Amino acid sequence: MTNSYNDIHNSKAIMIMGGNPAEAHPVSMQHVLRGKEQNKAPLIVVDPRFTRTAAHATEYVRIRPGTDIPFMWGLLWHIFENGWEDKEYIRQRVYGMDEIRAEVKKWNPQEVERVVGVPGEQMKRVAELMAKNRPGTLIWCMGVTQHSMGTANVRALSVFQLALGNIGVEGGGANIFRGHCNVQGCTDLGLDVTTLPAYYGLTEGAWRHWSRVWDVDYAWMQSRFESKKMMETKGIPSTRWFDAVLVDKKDLEQNDNVKAMFFWGHGGNTVPRMPEMRTGMEKVELLVVVDPHPTTAAALPDRKDGTYLLPACTQLETRGSRTASNRSLQWGDQIVKPVFESKPDHWILYKLAKKLGFEKEMFKNIKIDEGDEPNVEDILREINRGTISIGYSGQSPERLKEHMKHQADFDIVSLRATKGPLKGEFYGLPWPCWGTPEMKHPGTHVLYNTHLPVKDGGGAFRARFGVERNGVSLLADGSYPKDSEIKDGHPEFTYGLLKKMGWDKELTDAERATIERIGGNNPDGVGWAIDLSCGIIRVTMAHGVQAMGNAKARAVAFGLPDPVPVHREPIYTPRRDLVEKYPAMADRRDYRLPHLGKSIQDKDFSKDFPMILTTGRLVEYEGGGEETRSNKWLAELQQSMFVEINPADASRLGIKDGQDVWVHGPENKAKARVKALVTQRVGQGVVFMPFHFSGFWQGVDQRAKYPPGADPIVLGESANGVTSYGYDPVTHMHENKATLCRVEAA
Amino acid sequence: MARMKFLCDSERCVECNACVTACKNEHEVPWGINRRRVVTLNDGQKGERSISMACMHCEDAPCMAVCPVDCFYKTDDGVVLHSKDLCIGCGYCFYACPFGAPQYPQVGNFGSRGKMDKCTFCAGGPEADNTKEEYAKYGANRLAEGKLPLCAEMCSTKALLAGDGDVIADIYKQRVARRGYGSGAWGWATAYKTGSSA
Repeated sequence: MTNSYNDIHNSKAIMIMGGNPAEAHPVSMQHVLRGKEQNKAPLIVVDPRFTRTAAHATEYVRIRPGTDIPFMWGLLWHIFENGWEDKEYIRQRVYGMDEIRAEVKKWNPQEVERVVGVPGEQMKRVAELMAKNRPGTLIWCMGVTQHSMGTANVRALSVFQLALGNIGVEGGGANIFRGHCNVQGCTDLGLDVTTLPAYYGLTEGAWRHWSRVWDVDYAWMQSRFESKKMMETKGIPSTRWFDAVLVDKKDLEQNDNVKAMFFWGHGGNTVPRMPEMRTGMEKVELLVVVDPHPTTAAALPDRKDGTYLLPACTQLETRGSRTASNRSLQWGDQIVKPVFESKPDHWILYKLAKKLGFEKEMFKNIKIDEGDEPNVEDILREINRGTISIGYSGQSPERLKEHMKHQADFDIVSLRATKGPLKGEFYGLPWPCWGTPEMKHPGTHVLYNTHLPVKDGGGAFRARFGVERNGVSLLADGSYPKDSEIKDGHPEFTYGLLKKMGWDKELTDAERATIERIGGNNPDGVGWAIDLSCGIIRVTMAHGVQAMGNAKARAVAFGLPDPVPVHREPIYTPRRDLVEKYPAMADRRDYRLPHLGKSIQDKDFSKDFPMILTTGRLVEYEGGGEETRSNKWLAELQQSMFVEINPADASRLGIKDGQDVWVHGPENKAKARVKALVTQRVGQGVVFMPFHFSGFWQGVDQRAKYPPGADPIVLGESANGVTSYGYDPVTHMHENKATLCRVEAA
Repeated sequence: MARMKFLCDSERCVECNACVTACKNEHEVPWGINRRRVVTLNDGQKGERSISMACMHCEDAPCMAVCPVDCFYKTDDGVVLHSKDLCIGCGYCFYACPFGAPQYPQVGNFGSRGKMDKCTFCAGGPEADNTKEEYAKYGANRLAEGKLPLCAEMCSTKALLAGDGDVIADIYKQRVARRGYGSGAWGWATAYKTGSSA
């Protein structure tokens, strides 16, 4: 999220695509609706479903699931055709827009209508609304990301905002609404199998950096792994863990199949292909669930032994820092003592480390409080020490607690304290909050904002991909943060570059000593992000300069599949007429596993499975739903799992509202028995299922399988019991927004 | 003395049911009984709108007028409350109420409905304020603690407003002026015959 929920008050246009905040983020709608009311901002909702969010739109656009890129390019077609793009912004701050132009040219109104299903007139109207009401915000959620082309979708949406000059300004932004408590913090701290905390990656340099932060010997760390190669190899994402259990060993880039699985705060029923997941759960030798609830893992597999449920505290029963969608951190106190015998996550981790024999190394700088609980203040201090790359370094426990104490001093729109001891700081010190806590950086409300000095929350795009490509500069051209002494683009700072600028003399002796210790025989090569003293950041900031460089944003993401995003039909598509022109990606390998695309798409499933199936959220439930379906008030509001079906389809199939139907999926004889909700919310040929349910399996009640007293009040079939294969080539994010199914009266 | 009123701004209501959940939790309202509910018109179609409904604490309350045992009374704040000790569960108030507010927890033999239950504007009942007895029959008494009804406090979009009628009318007027349009403060003309210009 480049901006914040609150900043939507400044938006002159609001477009929400593949997101249903009225149900998934109801409180955010306060800000969306205020932006709409106060600025008379058009509210454009783009979704295959007429959602509860769409009910408040000034313009609702119904697209076919899986056509996000053609929709975006179709809007840009009008924008380029009419010269509505921000030409000066593109010249100064965007790399590769001409290559985008070439692709966009193919998406004339006729082709967009053929592929996406949106009439040309509406496309033009929406493009004009976004072009003529700036700054505009573009908001999206999993309707854009959970696709076999999720990363390319995200890039297309970002390119659209770059073309309009909407990134780096108040009221603009690429704003992805994050969901439950601290999910952004989890992402930042290395939940992703491709990186150590704070997006450092898995290279030797990254491991050496974190070994220094943790104060452990790099050689010892390496000795924990089978080999240096495995240490630096991406892991297997949670979307595909069961493939690593089930595939033939020779197709796996590790020495054996996965034999143990930890579900730590993960419902299981939120990812597709549950019939295979079930087999995987039955095959592993060890299955551990760390959660306040037994989750789907309790109800799904038939296994008696080798299963452990470790009850974890909810966020209200423990304390510590949490990161919100907009990168702000808040300090949370313990509200109630654990209701049951549950323990905080960090307690469980500490005990596990102790049992495995490395707690002395990994908790070296963390005090262990009474009852064997690692001190959460110390944990945050360690995070602060290491996460320099994203400026998660200045938010000390002390500063965060002050923010909680003085909440009333912060302005609700600008997020800045307008009075009191914290005057000038942004609420929750949204990262980047550069340097050490002592440097008192105020945090960054709006990313890449050149209208403010770096030391006051301003910035520019990071110079992360070198300085030039094929003779073209990747650095910003004449654009720079306010008060910067370098009035142009520049690379990331190293100690060497600092010397070249003659600024190294401004380092303190202690800072210089730290840099030289880190650098060994090449101190000049020490970059700002591994400089544990944060001296490079401090000195550059004093010159108004951003240590992470000042580059152009990449409209063309060289190094990724489809550097210019192109449309590819979902691998399960009913539009066979489009498959040849817009094929899925060829089968490939990644994340230690085979990754199929074209070979599945080549087969026509649309005869037996003619309806498009998409999935999403309900306001009553959250994620896998175990916690919320166990809440009597919420359970009362939503008592049955259902499938939404258009009245025309229902009438054709002889299905009445409220009756039981079977939804069949295209793989593994998958099926689910659910109630039909006949509604115009979905278009013809499309059905929708919420994904929060579990505890019924192919028509059979699984309630008896829960530990006594731990079964949720409401059980239901899982939508992902019928969803199918499909993974994004970059992240292996699953596809459960566009697949196929067949609905039959039960 | 302030005149307490509810106002639901249908331009803001997103049918999240936070008000319903807050109410049920605060007062431990049993499964199947709703002091407050969200009503949606044109569900899933263009023009879909939702409003959160409960007892509106009418100025000239029809429930009070028809009650054969006179169990209703009005507080100085204009909140319409009733005594469950007096209520005979006859159901007249249900027929009289234009908002469908009265609820009956029991369905027994011979049409006996049990004691009527409804929204109290978080103001309890005739028992002494904030006592166990009061809570058991009527739920929490937030007003006596200087707090406003929890449904509105928890509203995710500030669609549901509760409090001094003049203040919330002013908030709503400002919204309508800014938007340049308004769908009307639904139910106000019915509930509050005078001073219902919003």
